[in-house]
Amino acid sequence: MRSLLNFLLRFRTLILFLILEAVALMLIFSSHSYHQTVAYGAARTVSGFVSKRIEAGTNYFRLRQVNEELVAENTVLRSRLEALEAGAQKQPLTVDDSLSGISYSYLDAKVVNNSVNKQKNFITIDRGSLHGVTRGMGVASATGVVGVVVGVSPRFSVAMSLLNADFRLSASMARNDYFGSLAWDGLSHRYATLSEIPHHVTVTEGDTIVTSGYSAIFPAGLLVGTLTGDLERGGDFLSLKVKLSTDFKRLTNVFLIGSLNREERQNLEVEVTR
Amino acid sequence: MNSLSRYTGAFILLIVLQLLIFSNIEFSGYVNPYIYVMFILVLPFSIPSWFLLILAFFTGLVIDLFSGTLGVHAFATVMAGFVRPWILTLNITSEVTDPDMSPSLYRNGLRWFFFYTVTVVFVHHLTLFLVEVFTFSNLFHTLLRVLLSTAVTTFFIMLFDFIRPRR
Repeated sequence: MRSLLNFLLRFRTLILFLILEAVALMLIFSSHSYHQTVAYGAARTVSGFVSKRIEAGTNYFRLRQVNEELVAENTVLRSRLEALEAGAQKQPLTVDDSLSGISYSYLDAKVVNNSVNKQKNFITIDRGSLHGVTRGMGVASATGVVGVVVGVSPRFSVAMSLLNADFRLSASMARNDYFGSLAWDGLSHRYATLSEIPHHVTVTEGDTIVTSGYSAIFPAGLLVGTLTGDLERGGDFLSLKVKLSTDFKRLTNVFLIGSLNREERQNLEVEVTR
Repeated sequence: MNSLSRYTGAFILLIVLQLLIFSNIEFSGYVNPYIYVMFILVLPFSIPSWFLLILAFFTGLVIDLFSGTLGVHAFATVMAGFVRPWILTLNITSEVTDPDMSPSLYRNGLRWFFFYTVTVVFVHHLTLFLVEVFTFSNLFHTLLRVLLSTAVTTFFIMLFDFIRPRR
């Protein structure tokens, strides 16, 4: 007993070191699936509060840029409305049941915390379960795809950024509909890689890359970026370098995309493939 | 002013500087300076190593809570706190006159302080970036991030030590 005590006393620093490192590792692993950190709600609320104040300050300096983007988006929406109205007059919409074709809902939100300099970047948004946000909703900005919601608290939610090594997006080439998997290589916040494109596809610099709609998170045709023309031939497929249309360094206004019948679709897909 | 309030002040100042300024430095994704390690560096020579470890864990945890990386900084900072006494014993050239003093550029000389800082910061950054990516693939990319960030962090810590009150 005495020798055990002596042993513990002699190596107390080493033992404390090992215990603390074990606790740190446990924290890392328990927060690996990110939504579990919602358990640390108190800290989240405090840091969310602080981030919100900081963001309020920095937002002021971006107003000009934001205004320009909003004007641009308004123009696009206005022209789309015009087209819809013209179409509606020609052939009125008669369907009035739940299959009317509306399958996505939108909710505007502000970014209160964001990073681009880590390997696993996350974005905090000032909308939470009180506003109807759920896990798995898509996040996009006026300029393109941003990420997917992975954690929700009453007033805030955390989205996995496209700039996250774990993020995968089903994206396709707008010109010929060939689709592949888009992922971030962890290097520059302006570029990502679109892989699994067959060899015979002709690649032109400036080709538009959009979401494929296969994941039921984003509607098809949402802008992701443009091809730079750089490509890598490896194995059976091409890997294409994509310049992202969203500048993650100055992300302020985003919108959340909820798929209204995602559950039905996924249930069916699971049922059939099982 | 007693030493407790001095070190508490240094702690808060470093955490605030880190979170408001240095965590927002985005330079091509390679340079992520973590200057809050300076708190571990400036604690007095005489601090018991178990207390150093607890303080290191707490410091890392505070940074973790504010940057949403639970455990990662705590792990790296405890590692830095663990190697600090070894580096101090390796590295004492001039005898320490007052063990309650904190290691500094002013008292221990530029060369000594530079070597001490760069070693502890390197251990911290290496642990941090490896735990953050949690893979040995792309090791070269990770090592480059470690080296560049260590250089920038060391520069700022030397600068802060140069301008801090000489006591």
